[in-house]
Amino acid sequence: MPRHRDEDDDVDEEYDGTELEEEEEEEEVRGSRGSRQKRGRSNFIDDYADEEDEEDDDEDYGSRVRKGGGAKKKKSSASIFLDIDAQVDDEEEEEEEDEENDFIDAGTDLPEERVGRRYDRRFQEENDEDVEDLERRIQERFSRHHEEYDEEATDVEQQALLPSVRDPKLWMVKCAIGHEREVAVCLMQKFIDRGSDLHIRSVVALDHLKNYIYVEADKEAHVKEAIKGLRNIYANQKITLVPIKEMTDVLSVESKAIDLSRDTWVRMKLGTYKGDLAKVVDVDNVRQRVTVKLIPRIDLQALASKLDGREVAKKKAFVPPPRFMNIDEARELHIRVERRRDPMTGDYFENIDGNLFKDGFLYKTVSLKSIIAQNVTPTFDELEKFNKPSENGESDFGGLSTLFANRKKGHFMKGDAVIVIKGDLKNLKGWVEKVDEENVLIKSEMKGLPDPLAVNERELCKYFEPGNHVKVVSGTHAGATGMVVKVDQHVLIILSDTTKEHVRVFADHVVESSEVTTGVTKIGDYELHDLVLMDNLSFGVIIRLENEAFQVLKGVPDRAEVGLVKLREIKCKLQKKISGQDRNKNMVSVNDDVRVIEGPSKGKQGPVRHIYRGVLFIYDRHHLEHAGFICAKCTSCTVVGGSRSGPNRNGGDSVSRFGNFKAPPVPSSPGRFQRGGMANNSGGRHRGGRGGRDDSLLGTTVKIRLGPFKGYRGPVVEVKGEHVRVELEMKIVTVKRNEISDNVSATTPSRDTSRYSMGSETPMHPSRTPLHPYMTPMRDSGATPIHDGMRTPMRDRAWNPYTPMSPQRDNWEEGNPASWGTSPQYQPGSPLSRAYEAPTPGSGWASTPGGSYDAGTPRDHSSAYANAPSPYLPSTPGQPMTPSSGAYIPGTPGGQPMTPGTGLDVMSPVIGGDAEAWFMPDILVEVHKAGGGGKDVGVIRDVSDGTCKVSLGSSGEGDTEMVLPSELEIVAPKKNDRVKIVGGQYRGSVGKLIGIDGSDGIVKIEDNLEVKILDLGILAKYVLR
Amino acid sequence: MQLHPRFFGRNLRENLVTKLMKDVEGTCSGRHGFVVAITGIESIGKGLIRDGTGFVTFPVKYQCVVFRPFKGEILEAVVTLVNKMGFFAEAGPVQIFVSKHLIPDDMEFQAGDMPNYTTSDGSVKIQKECEVRLKIIGTRVDATEIFCVGTIKDDFLGVINDPEAA
Repeated sequence: MPRHRDEDDDVDEEYDGTELEEEEEEEEVRGSRGSRQKRGRSNFIDDYADEEDEEDDDEDYGSRVRKGGGAKKKKSSASIFLDIDAQVDDEEEEEEEDEENDFIDAGTDLPEERVGRRYDRRFQEENDEDVEDLERRIQERFSRHHEEYDEEATDVEQQALLPSVRDPKLWMVKCAIGHEREVAVCLMQKFIDRGSDLHIRSVVALDHLKNYIYVEADKEAHVKEAIKGLRNIYANQKITLVPIKEMTDVLSVESKAIDLSRDTWVRMKLGTYKGDLAKVVDVDNVRQRVTVKLIPRIDLQALASKLDGREVAKKKAFVPPPRFMNIDEARELHIRVERRRDPMTGDYFENIDGNLFKDGFLYKTVSLKSIIAQNVTPTFDELEKFNKPSENGESDFGGLSTLFANRKKGHFMKGDAVIVIKGDLKNLKGWVEKVDEENVLIKSEMKGLPDPLAVNERELCKYFEPGNHVKVVSGTHAGATGMVVKVDQHVLIILSDTTKEHVRVFADHVVESSEVTTGVTKIGDYELHDLVLMDNLSFGVIIRLENEAFQVLKGVPDRAEVGLVKLREIKCKLQKKISGQDRNKNMVSVNDDVRVIEGPSKGKQGPVRHIYRGVLFIYDRHHLEHAGFICAKCTSCTVVGGSRSGPNRNGGDSVSRFGNFKAPPVPSSPGRFQRGGMANNSGGRHRGGRGGRDDSLLGTTVKIRLGPFKGYRGPVVEVKGEHVRVELEMKIVTVKRNEISDNVSATTPSRDTSRYSMGSETPMHPSRTPLHPYMTPMRDSGATPIHDGMRTPMRDRAWNPYTPMSPQRDNWEEGNPASWGTSPQYQPGSPLSRAYEAPTPGSGWASTPGGSYDAGTPRDHSSAYANAPSPYLPSTPGQPMTPSSGAYIPGTPGGQPMTPGTGLDVMSPVIGGDAEAWFMPDILVEVHKAGGGGKDVGVIRDVSDGTCKVSLGSSGEGDTEMVLPSELEIVAPKKNDRVKIVGGQYRGSVGKLIGIDGSDGIVKIEDNLEVKILDLGILAKYVLR
Repeated sequence: MQLHPRFFGRNLRENLVTKLMKDVEGTCSGRHGFVVAITGIESIGKGLIRDGTGFVTFPVKYQCVVFRPFKGEILEAVVTLVNKMGFFAEAGPVQIFVSKHLIPDDMEFQAGDMPNYTTSDGSVKIQKECEVRLKIIGTRVDATEIFCVGTIKDDFLGVINDPEAA
């Protein structure tokens, strides 16, 4: 049973006197190495005898030994010493007898030296002890134990020493708090006085156990007898028996004595410096004290006033921030600074108010118990601070080696590249072959070295080379991955994969890995780069994960707002596939490339990652802040280039891709602007239905026609063969496919889903079958799908997998409207002047179908969708099967009619209210010449066949040119300007902009003097001819 | 390779190749790097008709020129972005980052309108649009992107053409 080392010296000492048993136990610890120890000690003592006057290390050591052996008074503290030293001694000797000198050096650390000297002096004065006598005593003492414990105690023997039923038991007695030791001492005194009357064997007071002492005795009655009448033990206290199994625990040291050495990093446990990092500069094992180096937290002002004798307001809550002591500053405040030489080390310290400072650091001597030495992992910042003042050359990261003490088991793995950092083999690189407990077998390229080579774990450090891809496994950056850019001793500088920022980590915290993570990428359900909705209904993209919190780039356009959001503050993840419209009213969907053309992030370009409430989150890899995310309004962006998302879209998309593929994009089709109208929007929207893929049904609101759920309505959540899962208002049910009708069919019951697939399922006759669906709409044109669309607004894009984005698309959107524009009567609610202005239906057809399609407009979907809106064709009866439309049918395998209504709505000007802006005469525009020339302003004089006739000059006085609309940009009007409304319900009207509210303009329309609030995007400055 | 039925016919093969080129060229695969150009078609297998869509999938074997940067490779690249941590350069489709730790120590970052790295005597300046020769010290290969870390801290590396100086 090893004796508890924390025990107080005094109590301890008494035990030594009274309870031999316990001392024997103590001896047992070292008994096994008794012989060696004895020899070693004798040597020292001899040394001492010979060189008594010399103040060298040996002598110090010797004096201590003498103190230990000779002075009974200090015996126990010395014996702690002996014990510890003996252990060291032992190890060293096992390795090499010759290293004895080294051992002595190591053993005589500063504190010991000092202590040694102090005692030395005292003993010199007293000089009551004869060295010979001392030697004899020690010989005697150890030889005794030597005899007893001659052999190494084996495990079995150790086991045998454990308490058994026959041994005296341990009783736990409650006593007054803080008087544990006193009680123990009293009991001892009692024992001395009463002799064998007292049947207890020992008393133990543990420092860490308040309120209780342990009494060793055979019977409870003995304990009661012994404690009777003691002041600090209350009468009839309950006495508890410690179970045999727990007896060893009571007296075993709970953690191995921390072997603190100089340069170890520790943390303070208490006081002002609680939690602060400190570096051990001195260890005094005797007094259980350490001197640590700290960054002072001293309020000089307060100190100054205190020293002046002024009253200092006690502000407990305020802890001064750590900063280095500036002596000059202190002097300025008239604080007395003494400069003193430390007699031991010869260093100079500044003494201010009892505190010792050196180089700005505070040197503080504290009890061992008030520091934490285990699992101290200093962060970089802390270390850096410590390094600051000593900038002279070598950085202090040498102290890092002490960090290794905190390594976890299994730190090194086979195959790790390592470098030796200590000893003869320093800087030797190698690879881990095998890991034993303490030693690591490494293989190195160096010739002439044993292979494998065993190296102590502590002498190794992981080694990385610039360019390695690594993963941080512990520390503050745990989880991050990146590429090593620089190796600075044990510190790696890593370029993080996600943030593209430099991260400094210890080589020890890193493993090589080909894995690319973004650090921790997930907390709960939320992942990095997710779009999330927060409690306060704001939303944003997660751009970084921190401990328990996310950094979120808020969805505030024109201003990068980053917030730290806790997990619980996040309401949900937004995953809907919404699309928006860019400045030119082109559809913007996720993964489309857009360029920001307005606002602070103007000029940035990248794929859209999220769209929500008209706000785009764009990922620009050149953008380094906010993990590359830019937040911008839909309307301040333009779609550029083709769709990136092609391959991972579904079949429907492929259709468009094919179209694209076959017919290379041709910019601008003739005659689209004029007749654009709104209807084309609806035309475009019909895509939802095309392609025959079942997804087309996804998300549509359907009504169940048959079966037990007849009459129920709800959006389709899943389509599987013949079955469709429909989310009713209450629940999701499974119904047969032919038992439902989509919402359009709700009014046009003659259509059902099965029909739509026909076109796509008979690919060999594409041109024929689709005709069928075409005709249907005509039949029920009375119930124009548009109506339905209006009834189910906003249904569209969410599920529509199809995200047109190529430039061609807008062409068709604008181009084919020709056919729609001629059927304004089918757009109830959009009595557009413009639409009526459009050429007569006949001419519309004459020019467009052939012209626009054949002229090259047949770009991807355009072709496909141009026909999609065929339901509207009734307006031009007799032409439903124009050859041109037929030609494109293959791409539109009749799917569209299925969801014509749903397709329409979002953008339908009538419903959505935000119409697209078309170029029209008499508006001021900015001309960007494709050739790269500058910008010019001009006035559109005429718009025909897709080109605009523009008179340059702000009032149109200059030359007239033909310009493609893509080179034009509407000049935003200012307040009080006369404006022309170029989109929406009032398209074509002229009014006065009487105010601007954010992105909306307040317009007083001249015709009827009505005041309307319209999107600024559809307002153009009106220039009178 | 998926093909829409509309392309069936005499030109099927042609269409297939065209589509292949369109789809594959310019993409990046983690295993092979960037596909620069398709040089030849080895074989086109039998098509497989997909139920429900009518699409036909053809296995196509092709040869192509790929670009895949390797560690230690010396590349010439155009600087696209300079910031205090280093600079980004592009060599074709590959983005390369040169950390400031991998820029010679005598080059200092100068913030401002045109952030750049300049030597103390001002003779060499790295800024946007500069051409630099650099050595790749590490690559990270994603499914869709290759990212490299490069260094110019070595002999014969550095600015090779400065548009401003020219």
